[in-house]
Amino acid sequence: MNYREPLPDGCPPPESDEVAGPLVVFRLVRSSPPSLDDFRSQRAERPSAAFRGVSECVARGLSVYKRVTDCDKTRKLPQFQGRFICQVYLEAGAGRIQQTGRPTHYTWWPLAAFEILGHCEAVAP
Amino acid sequence: MKKIRPTSTLYYYDGPQVVEARDAIGGHYVAVMVAPVGEQDRYVVAGVEPQRLQQFLAGEIDLRSLMLHRSEDEWFLATTGADDWWLAEPQSSPLSSFSQLPEEGFLLHDAPPSSEALREARARNNLVMEVAAEARESAGEHRIRVGTLAELLTHLQVVVKHAYGAALRTLPVDSRRMIDRSEAHLLDVVVPAAPGSFRIVLEAATRPDLLGQSELRRALERMDELFLSASDPQQTLAMVKAHRGHLAGAYQRLLRFLVDSKVGLRYAWAEPSFAEPRARAISEADAGSLVDALSGVSNLGAEPVELVGALKAANVNSGTWRLATEGGERAGKLKPGGPSLAGLKLEGTYRFTCLEEIEETHGGTREQQTLYLMEHEPA
Repeated sequence: MNYREPLPDGCPPPESDEVAGPLVVFRLVRSSPPSLDDFRSQRAERPSAAFRGVSECVARGLSVYKRVTDCDKTRKLPQFQGRFICQVYLEAGAGRIQQTGRPTHYTWWPLAAFEILGHCEAVAP
Repeated sequence: MKKIRPTSTLYYYDGPQVVEARDAIGGHYVAVMVAPVGEQDRYVVAGVEPQRLQQFLAGEIDLRSLMLHRSEDEWFLATTGADDWWLAEPQSSPLSSFSQLPEEGFLLHDAPPSSEALREARARNNLVMEVAAEARESAGEHRIRVGTLAELLTHLQVVVKHAYGAALRTLPVDSRRMIDRSEAHLLDVVVPAAPGSFRIVLEAATRPDLLGQSELRRALERMDELFLSASDPQQTLAMVKAHRGHLAGAYQRLLRFLVDSKVGLRYAWAEPSFAEPRARAISEADAGSLVDALSGVSNLGAEPVELVGALKAANVNSGTWRLATEGGERAGKLKPGGPSLAGLKLEGTYRFTCLEEIEETHGGTREQQTLYLMEHEPA
């Protein structure tokens, strides 16, 4: 499968789930409407950074939540103050997703062919 | 300049956003990610009193007040380095004037802990298991026989060890290789005799990863399945058969111990992010019914093992053999009525299909594993 960003071997992990049907997730974005820059992984943002304790696979995925309230909470942190919330409608062909860390936090590895912006909708502030 | 070492990630979103850290002499710090400098992550860092940190970890105070309401004014900006230590540079202006502080209202958890197990898990920021032994001597006062407590904990640890092994075997080989599992199944006793019934608090010996996930969770989820229907022998029998092997054997030995020692068992475990702990219980009477139900199944605790390697020794008379596999040399015996070793060539490469059985030694506190050859073929 062709992912949006180059991924290491074994990534996404086999225990991640392929998005097979409609699934709504939420992501914090810098602009409204969002741009594709809002869907770049940590690795794409900083190609030579050392992410200690975070696997290269997770560093090349995108953080998303299944609850909008988690985005509200994250917006209280310095890095995300003033950000907008985008609702992303995932469907078959969106890629793979895995719960990582807190119960409502997921890492999403989008497929290259999935047209992200066409599936995004801004959430009212 | 101060050096601090991150000890756990408390909140993750596109990177570790809130981190707990320690300095070289054990001082506690909380670090919050701010705008990066080039390729390096950058954190605002404040030393915090352990009690206030515990309150934050429990979800009782918010991040901003944890950082601002302190008995000292010193604070730092730290950049992540190539090693485990971060260099934290002291700042002269008041922290309250820093433009990149968390807003009010950032609580680590949505609700306060609903149970002691969850409170401990949050305070320790680790997976915690609370065990209550219902021994007869504990009914009237806070006491338990030394042997009962020691054996109970040993049996429990053995069940967890084999539950972890069983859970790992369901993972793809690539995933298994990526996991550091050397001590992931181990539990440490952290509160040996908590008030209440005879209650012991255990904590995962290995810290969770930087996403806050504990390897031990795999084992406890598997163990929960075995205790799910403790009062229904038939359902439990079906579940134990599905876990045939060392896990089933260890579970059977734990049940026998509960019956022999006349002890009931309750446990609850939680990770810091849980809303509720996961709890299971089994009474002495239910353990007795299960022991009876399981005693009718043969070879429940024997685990199929396949070995491939060069034959190093084979004694046709004694029925013993030794095979050099990729994972090291393994030795075993023939089962009465099993295949013969006659005709096998030393240094030849063979596939041995075996059953591994565990026998208790030292009063049930140690395990001795024996491999019995069931089939062999050239590989």
